[in-house]
Amino acid sequence: MKHLRRILVLLLCLFSTLSAVGSIATAAEPTRSETLIVDILQGRDANAGNFNLWVPGAAFASKGIHHFMVRPLWMTEYAKGEVLNVLAKDPPIYNADFTQMTVNLRDGIFWSDGVEFTADDVAYTVETLMKTKGMFFNTELNLYVDKVTKPSKYQVIFHLKTAHSRFHSFFLDRWGAIRFMPKHVWEKVQAPMTFTNYPPVSLGAYVLEDYDPQGYWFRWKRRDDWQRTVVGKLYGMPQPKLVTFHFYGPPEKKVIAQSQHELDMTDMTPEALRAALEKNPASRGYRKQYPWFVNVDPCITGIQLNHDKPPFNLKDVRWALMLATDIVDFTMTGFDGMATLGAMLLPPTPAYTTWYYQPMLPWLDNFALDVDGKPFKPFDREAPMRLAQRAKERGYSVPTDPGQIREIWGVGWWKYAPDVAAKLLERNRFKKGADGKWLLPDGTPWKFTIITTPTATHPQNRNAFAMAQQWKKFGIDVSVETPDQYATITQRGMFDASTQWPAREPWGAHPDMFRTFDHWYSAYYKPIGEMAIAPQAAASRWRNPRMDKVVEALRATPWGNTEKIIQLGMDGLKILVEEMPGLPTVVYPGILTWDETYWTNYPGAENVYAQPYHHWPNFEFMLPFLKSTGKK
Amino acid sequence: MTFLKRYLLPRLFQYLVVIFVGTTIVFISTRLTPADPVQQTIQRITAQGGYMDPAAVEDFSRTLRELYGLEGSVLQQYAALWKRLLTGNFGRSYTYFPTPVIQLIGTSLPWTLGLLSLSSIMAWLIGTLLGGLAGYAGQEKWAKWLESVVMIVRPIPYYIIALLALILFAYFVPIFPLSGAFAVGKKVTLTWSFALSVAKHAFLPAASLVLGGIGVWFIQMKSMASNIVAEDYVMFGRAGGLSRGKLVLQYTIRNAMLPQITGLALALGQLLSGALVVEYVFSYPGVGMLLYQAITQGDYNLTMGITMLSIVVIATGVLIIDLIYPLFDPRVRYR
Repeated sequence: MKHLRRILVLLLCLFSTLSAVGSIATAAEPTRSETLIVDILQGRDANAGNFNLWVPGAAFASKGIHHFMVRPLWMTEYAKGEVLNVLAKDPPIYNADFTQMTVNLRDGIFWSDGVEFTADDVAYTVETLMKTKGMFFNTELNLYVDKVTKPSKYQVIFHLKTAHSRFHSFFLDRWGAIRFMPKHVWEKVQAPMTFTNYPPVSLGAYVLEDYDPQGYWFRWKRRDDWQRTVVGKLYGMPQPKLVTFHFYGPPEKKVIAQSQHELDMTDMTPEALRAALEKNPASRGYRKQYPWFVNVDPCITGIQLNHDKPPFNLKDVRWALMLATDIVDFTMTGFDGMATLGAMLLPPTPAYTTWYYQPMLPWLDNFALDVDGKPFKPFDREAPMRLAQRAKERGYSVPTDPGQIREIWGVGWWKYAPDVAAKLLERNRFKKGADGKWLLPDGTPWKFTIITTPTATHPQNRNAFAMAQQWKKFGIDVSVETPDQYATITQRGMFDASTQWPAREPWGAHPDMFRTFDHWYSAYYKPIGEMAIAPQAAASRWRNPRMDKVVEALRATPWGNTEKIIQLGMDGLKILVEEMPGLPTVVYPGILTWDETYWTNYPGAENVYAQPYHHWPNFEFMLPFLKSTGKK
Repeated sequence: MTFLKRYLLPRLFQYLVVIFVGTTIVFISTRLTPADPVQQTIQRITAQGGYMDPAAVEDFSRTLRELYGLEGSVLQQYAALWKRLLTGNFGRSYTYFPTPVIQLIGTSLPWTLGLLSLSSIMAWLIGTLLGGLAGYAGQEKWAKWLESVVMIVRPIPYYIIALLALILFAYFVPIFPLSGAFAVGKKVTLTWSFALSVAKHAFLPAASLVLGGIGVWFIQMKSMASNIVAEDYVMFGRAGGLSRGKLVLQYTIRNAMLPQITGLALALGQLLSGALVVEYVFSYPGVGMLLYQAITQGDYNLTMGITMLSIVVIATGVLIIDLIYPLFDPRVRYR
């Protein structure tokens, strides 16, 4: 009995101590009105404690690392079509033969531990990456950089081994670039590859405050000296005191979290967006009304065809597939009308519409295919209008102003002309069987498979199923397969058609098309079985000597000579239209929802002051413009 | 000595063979998938817009191949695997390179073990006990009613139960959290506040696992107990005036639960593979999602690490059951 009493007293003491400690631990909980909560695009980071962004795979960038911890020299602002000077004071300066690149750095930028960011950090990072095998950009830097010199505290000169007119693109952040290490931290590190970089020192306006070791959330706190950061200097104080990156799980969980006002900014699927809007009056999309989606994403989706597999090597076949597609039907089936039509292998974002689509409209109108000796003009300016009409018939409220319709749904697409498609096939000895299905020139049924991602909500998956339906209607025996490893399968060339991006994503913020065209350069060609340089575009195995010439000309053209760059860009796009190596369909339709309970003034379609995604590195530049509702 | 030669040694040999064959099969199957870990890494870098110079891609692939230890023939890689495994080294993950596989498993495994072992044992205990009672009771009204309820719940796929639980208690009546293992901002500390947060976050995943798991144990146990009730020794016991409690617990349930014990050992062994659906629906940390990610990303080392542990634990579980079986079943002892 005596022992029992002692044990009880002991347990009581332990309980009181733990409770006291517990109350201390929870006393400093931040208020919700000071906190912005956003989704983690890459999901749960099982390696949560690693903040070494310079090793491929070690750390998820979208947990706050590339938003706050690191900053690049330049950044693409695709919503406005601008390249932002971030740590660099001005654009890159090349010498005449592109063997030297000079960078002038901003002064007065400090790391979160109080040390100034200077040319030493830039040179140290480049040298560390060059000497550490396996780190990001190790190969590229060794391929091109001879040495780095520092004429002053705020100036760096890259001396190149060979001429490279686009060398600065390694430092231009478009969801990835060379970002800088704090020299004063890293110079003490013995093994850069295994260094976890925890606790991280930030160059952005926020510093890591806390994180979940299981990788579901990461909380960043605004620096007291935010004035000494790029965002502070350019745009002022970022409004949220805390930014929490929180992965809630699949879309239905995000809907619940947002309806409980515990998730301010998140990606969604179209279905989840509808549920969020229905359940939470404070939720809104990028557009306040239908069709809600983000139409400034610099990525064109569509179908990639394998040119090393007949009959896709035939231009007529590729064009027949285009003309057998009713794009209005396709977009309503696959995306419920929530996507912008892209007629060329370039997304018609506002910037690319200004640089390319609008100036090329007369050429597109006059572009003709030779069909039975007669010209057939396939471009259809009215496709967006028909799409808007179809959406209206489905019960949605759509704008009536043609300008607004084109701004949402694009400048046009290709005509739905199955009769012309049939003629293109027939002149290549295809014919229709008794069952109405197409037969190959050798008389066997024309069957092929589109491979795509198993993620049913991904635009690639939607492209596959919606397109298969179109082509089946035309009489081709098309099936869809969704292997988990479809990117690798595409890259090896073991496919007929794939929904990997049909063109390399362009910069989005500059008219230079080198980034897109270069992937088709003949020297990078790999036969089936070998890995193409990337699953996108190059995996199609398309080569064309005319395109090679455009790529070579772009290489010799300075980044600043936009007039010539645009001319070369148009030359390349004309080749792509004529050859149609891959089939463009719609711009990547980003689906976002924002909760306006605690924060407002998000960069929606009515006020595009910045790109709208919370997972892009530019996110930090949006924060000074957010407005707190003051709700506690 | 006879026990050692005729019982223990063959089982130990069998144990080692199972581990060897299992590991070899996993090694071969990972190499047969089309996923190439190097290309998956490059794909991850480029998929979201990261820039890789086409001229440098091949060199970078070679470097990664070298760092990942993927150079040499498949046989050489197989030999290297055993060399590593015998020194307790599972290698480094490719997806989270260069983090050691054992570190990644070590971070996730405690949550999987905590949640699944607790819920599996609870489901087993409740299912076995209720099944035993219902089997003994036979045609009594409450037993029939209980069986009907179980028969309705049992075929419902687990993810439906999980989703229903989530929607009911995290959305309509939001008394439980939506995701994670503990609240945002909580430090992993030995405090009541932290323990409560963990318990609150684990409640729905555990409750749905228990609810989904009871059915199988119940049905198995009920069917075994129904047979045993008709055995002569139970009838004699009843005729001899033994108490109902003794008849249920010592005569019926004890004899009926041998297959249940084997089943529990196997179920506990499988815990190491994680519970993908639980982790997905409740966003609960664990090795299930880690394994899924490893398979789709071609992360051979991480896949091998998790499956190897699972194989070893299942084989060890079966071995232990084999060794302690004589304690439960005297017939095994005399064989």
